[in-house]
Amino acid sequence: MKFQIPIGPQHPALKEPISLRMTIDGEVIRDADIRLGYNHRGVEKLAEERTYIQNIYLTERICGICSHSHALVFTQGAERLLEVEPPKRGIYLRHLVAELERVHSHLLWLGVAGHEAGFDTFFMYTWRDREVVMDLLEMISGNRVHYAINTLGGVRRDVDEALRKKILEGIEVLKKRSLFYLNVGATEPTFVGRLAGVGKLSKERALALCAVGPTLRASDIPNDVRKDDPFAFYDEAPFDVSTADTCDVLGRTVVRIKEVLESYKICEFILKNLPPGPVAVKAPRRPKPNEVVSRYEAPRGENIHYIKSNGTDKPERLKVRAPTLGNYAATVEMLRDGFVADIPLIFAAIDPCICCAERTVELRNARTGEERVVRFSELRRMAEERFRRLPPQRNVPWPF
Amino acid sequence: MTDQEKIEKLKARLGEKILDIANPAVRRVFLTVVPADVGAAAEVLKTDIGTEHLSTISGVDLGEAFEVIYHFGDSNGNVNVRTRIPRADPRLPSLCPVIPGAILYERELQEMFGIVVVDIPDPRRLLTSDDWPAENYPLRKDWKFERPEEKIPGGKR
Repeated sequence: MKFQIPIGPQHPALKEPISLRMTIDGEVIRDADIRLGYNHRGVEKLAEERTYIQNIYLTERICGICSHSHALVFTQGAERLLEVEPPKRGIYLRHLVAELERVHSHLLWLGVAGHEAGFDTFFMYTWRDREVVMDLLEMISGNRVHYAINTLGGVRRDVDEALRKKILEGIEVLKKRSLFYLNVGATEPTFVGRLAGVGKLSKERALALCAVGPTLRASDIPNDVRKDDPFAFYDEAPFDVSTADTCDVLGRTVVRIKEVLESYKICEFILKNLPPGPVAVKAPRRPKPNEVVSRYEAPRGENIHYIKSNGTDKPERLKVRAPTLGNYAATVEMLRDGFVADIPLIFAAIDPCICCAERTVELRNARTGEERVVRFSELRRMAEERFRRLPPQRNVPWPF
Repeated sequence: MTDQEKIEKLKARLGEKILDIANPAVRRVFLTVVPADVGAAAEVLKTDIGTEHLSTISGVDLGEAFEVIYHFGDSNGNVNVRTRIPRADPRLPSLCPVIPGAILYERELQEMFGIVVVDIPDPRRLLTSDDWPAENYPLRKDWKFERPEEKIPGGKR
C-alpha cells in the first residue's frame, strides 16, 4: 500500500516554503515530487527594467545567505560588457568578501546539519563561531547580510591596515575552531553513524542530473568553477578542490569542512598580498550590444548569469541560475528509497536556498501509477457531492 | 582542452550542422545550430569533449523569434549552444534523452516563454501558481504585469 504525504509548503522541518510530496511505502520513500513557486518574485523580468547599477542591488537580494555571490557574478558579467577592468585591489577585496561569505555559509550549514542529525551542541558551537566571521564581514562592509560592496568597476569600501590585522586574527580563531569541527566530525561515532550512507547519489547520476557544488564534489567529481574557469584572481590563489568519495551526506559534510579550510587559505593569501592602489575605477553606463556568460562558484555550487545588452543602460535579458535549482533533480534521486526520517537531513544536505532557486522555477518527477493528487477544492467538492447523495443521518451521538 | 581544440573537434564531428561558431572570450565558445541538431551537439559535447554538465537554458525574446541558449560547462570551460525558433511556431525537441538534468530548465522555458518542448518527459506546470491564466508567458517582451484590482471580501463597496 502506497501513500502520498505532503511535506510543506509550510513545515517545521523546512526553513523556507517548498512543497515536497512523498510517495511512501511504510517508512520507505518510493518517489518524491517537488513543487516550487511559493517564493517566486520575478527577478528576471524586473531586471530588464533596471539599470546595471540598480541591478547589482537587485541581484544581491536574490538570496539572503549567498547574497554577495549573485552580486559578484552579475558585476563581473556587467564589467565585461562595459569593457571595464577593475583595479587589482578591488578584485582582491571583492573576493575576500566572497570567501568570507563562503565561510559563514558553510558554518551555517554545518550547524543545520548537526541540528538535523540531532546533534544540537554542534549546532550551537558552529553558530557561535559563525558570529566571528559575521563580525568581520560587518567590519568590512558595514552590513551583516547584504554587503553591498560591489560596484561596476571595483568595490565601494577599502580595508585599512588595522582592519587587515583584525581580519587575520579572526581567521586564526576560525581556523582553530574549524579544525576542531573536523576532529569532532571524524571522531564522534554517533554523528558519523547518522550521516553515513544517507542520501546516496552515485557519480554517474550526479553527472547526468547536473548536480552542482558540494553535492557534486561529494560524489567524487572535482568540478569547481574557481578552478575550472579561473576568472579574476583564482589562478593566482593557492587552494585545492575539496572532494569526497562516499557519495552521501557524510561526504557532503566533509567537503564543506575542507572547503572552509581552503577558504581561510585564500583569505590569508589575499590579505598578505593585498596590492596597493585604488579600489574602483569609473565605469561607463551603457555597454555596446553584446552578451556574456558569467560563472562563479557560490557556496552552494555553480552560479551562472547570462546577460545580454542592447546598447541602452538596461539589460535586454538577465538569466539567473542559482545553484539550488541545479540540485533539485539530484535531490529526488537521493530521497528515493530512503527513509521518511532522513528527509530533513537529505534535503538540508544540498543546502537548499529556496528563495534563490525561485526567482523562477520548479521541478519534476515522472509520475507513474494511479496515485492522484487531490486539491483541497476538489476534495471539498467530492465531500459535498457525497453529502448530497446521502440522506442526513439522524440521532447521531456526540462522540464524547 | 583548449578552446581551439574544442572548436576543431566540434567542426570535425558536426560538420555541416554548424551554422556558426565563435570564441568571443577565453573559455567561452558559442555554437549555433538548428533546433533539431541541439541533441546531436550535446551528444558530441558529452562523448568527445567530456562536457556533460548542463548549467542552464536561457531563453531570449528577439521579437520575431526566440533564441534558446544551452549553457554547458565543466572543468573544460564553457560551451554555449545557441538555436533559434520562430515565434509563430515555437517548438523545440527535448534534450532529456541525452541529458536528464535538462528537465527543469525545459519546463521553465515552457512556462516562461510559451515554447513547446516536444517529447518532454514531464510537462506539468512548474513555477507559476495553479490558477495562473493560460497564454500568459511572463518573460516574453510583450507581457506586462498588471496588478489585478484588489477586492476586499466584505470590505467597502
